[in-house]
Amino acid sequence: MRVIFVCAVVAAVAVTSAGARPVATPGVSATEIRLGSSVPLSGEAAIAGNVARGIAAYFKYVNDKGGVFGRKITFTYLDDGYDPGRAVNNTIRLIQQEQVLAVFSSLGTSNNLAVRKLLNDAKVPQLYVASGATTFGRDYKKYPWTLGYIPPYSEEGELYGRYVVKNIKKPKIAVLYQNDDYGRDLLGGLKRGLGSKVKSIVASVGYDPTSADVQPQVTQLKASKANVLMVFAFGKFSLQAFNAVSRLAWKPQIFVNDVSSASALMAIVPQSAANGAISIVFGKDPAAPLWRNDKGIKLFQSILRKYGSSVNSRDLQDGYFTTGMATAYTMVDTLKKAGKNPTRQSVMNAATHLDEKGNPFVLPGIVIHTTPSSRFPLTQVRLQRWSANAWHPFGKLITARPG
Amino acid sequence: MRSRLWLELSGFTLLALAVAALPRFISDFRARELAIVGMYFIALIGLSILTGYSGQISLGHGAFMAIGGYTTAVLSVNGVYGHQIRDLWTIPIAGVIAGLAGLLVGVPALRLSGLYLALITFGIAVSFPQLPKKFDHFLGGTTGKILDLAKPPFGLATTPNNWMYYLTWGIALVLLGAAWLLVRGKTGRALKAIRDSEVAAASSGVKLATYKTLAFGISAFYAGVAGSLYAIANAYVNPDVFPIILSVYLVVGLAVGGLESLVGLIAGAGLIYFLQNHADTVARWINQLPALNLDPKQPGIPSMIFGVVLIVVMLLLPTGAGGVARRLFGSLTTRFYTRS
Repeated sequence: MRVIFVCAVVAAVAVTSAGARPVATPGVSATEIRLGSSVPLSGEAAIAGNVARGIAAYFKYVNDKGGVFGRKITFTYLDDGYDPGRAVNNTIRLIQQEQVLAVFSSLGTSNNLAVRKLLNDAKVPQLYVASGATTFGRDYKKYPWTLGYIPPYSEEGELYGRYVVKNIKKPKIAVLYQNDDYGRDLLGGLKRGLGSKVKSIVASVGYDPTSADVQPQVTQLKASKANVLMVFAFGKFSLQAFNAVSRLAWKPQIFVNDVSSASALMAIVPQSAANGAISIVFGKDPAAPLWRNDKGIKLFQSILRKYGSSVNSRDLQDGYFTTGMATAYTMVDTLKKAGKNPTRQSVMNAATHLDEKGNPFVLPGIVIHTTPSSRFPLTQVRLQRWSANAWHPFGKLITARPG
Repeated sequence: MRSRLWLELSGFTLLALAVAALPRFISDFRARELAIVGMYFIALIGLSILTGYSGQISLGHGAFMAIGGYTTAVLSVNGVYGHQIRDLWTIPIAGVIAGLAGLLVGVPALRLSGLYLALITFGIAVSFPQLPKKFDHFLGGTTGKILDLAKPPFGLATTPNNWMYYLTWGIALVLLGAAWLLVRGKTGRALKAIRDSEVAAASSGVKLATYKTLAFGISAFYAGVAGSLYAIANAYVNPDVFPIILSVYLVVGLAVGGLESLVGLIAGAGLIYFLQNHADTVARWINQLPALNLDPKQPGIPSMIFGVVLIVVMLLLPTGAGGVARRLFGSLTTRFYTRS
């Protein structure tokens, strides 16, 4: 009888003391902060998964230096094969099983659209999504828990338009664009940037992301006798476009959009077409000679060597890794700003009050800035031109902030 | 034959009991994972009726799942004349619409067989994703359609994951029972006869056209139901949710489950889910072998693991899980069968 009584008292004390403790924030314990991400590690876009590997390496480095307020960051990234259905499943797994504080830097426009509502319903921060679709920064009134990171595609297109108006006499513009939100965002931005000169677009041809080759489209564009070609194409299509231009012995001024401008890709297309091509840049490109002795890139390479998993020498030149580290750097800043005892709300407050100067992995001078009503963290870029097998930035920092 | 009936009935009852009891022993998220396995299982039952029993190969069943998924999305988001339909009630409609699409495909399939039929169906899988892009104001284009998250209806006190689990497996058991009744009866015998020899079947009075088209329709109905459930579970559809590779995965699941074994398909369904989503676990197992160090977090490695495991499974179990079960229990059960 006595034993039962003692047990009952112990149980009662245990229950009441447990009840008295403040409600714990998911993903935060005395020693740990949990973050998660869904990225492609298989399928056509698998190579972009390197963004998450860069993030993971950077967090390990931060943990080694003591973490954030003594807490180590645990970063779980799951493969979605670039399939939004699997991205949903991964995100639910991250919230329910891994109990993350925030979902962070998941990759792909559709994949992030697919989970935006459920994350906002559950009041889980959807931070720094790796997509330039304007909606992630613009529609914060409906989705207050979502925040983008990279410059929006539409603003990128606008910059190209403004550059053409200023620098090219009698432009006749041909546009090759991917026929989905991404390509159309760029095209729409270009038209805005051209302003009254919008008529200088003499031809625009869309291709479907499932097509085999864009050579027919490029041939059609050449027939328009344009002297400027906008390549708003992704991955292999951008590669095919350069090949086609070279084969047709066409010599337009080419503009290629940021997400297809990786040095590794530009180096393998015919240089007769690639030389002189213009794009935008915001991160330091580890393959560019300009940054060979840069502190940030040296830091990047030493972190990747020491903390990256199964890294090879090509990875040290891979811009996806630097983009990842730049995002991770901002995330660590955000966590520090979120206070000693971060909650989902305080993380979101921190993320919408960013004023980050000196991120070592982006171009010098870029300020990563947000306010509750201006949710595009990275809006400063420079133009760059391809020559002698590398990108060379030129001109001053320019702003690509919507509205 | 009577003892065989009792055996199969008791097996079914055991399966149903296991399905009902399982959520008590697993975490909430595991219930969701098993629900998705259940969806693959439903699609595989359909594919098994078509390929395993009637011998017609389809490489396009992902498209029928997509038709089901899109039906559910359109009915529950756009609604009919502005009146949105509850996701639960869209499931049978999705099945019927996919089934009708299947009947349509079944008609040209009458003139084709083997490789050529496989090509036609593959063409359907390849071309289907263009439809939502073409009619993007109605079907959402690449942006897709966002549904409301699945919630237990009628005030049931359970989690959304458990609700998805019971809903999916409830439907799966009913459809399994239906398929079982179908294949053990007259229709099943006719389908098998067609599979083994069309000439022989026709000369014994089996109407080829009717049964071959019927098999397509029924099988697409199953795929449509599975796709509808998949759309509800993910609360999202766009063309990438039903990629071409999904059709290939379904054929893989069928081969692993065993061409002529309905219950064995659970293993096939489990494998396609597991290999897609738990490549890291498999990598940990593989790394136990000497001189191997796979990093599942490296791009491309998950696909490689999928391929290797698949080759090994097919080498070890050429007749699939169903074949193994038959070999294991065959000696026990043939005694029952042959006496009766």
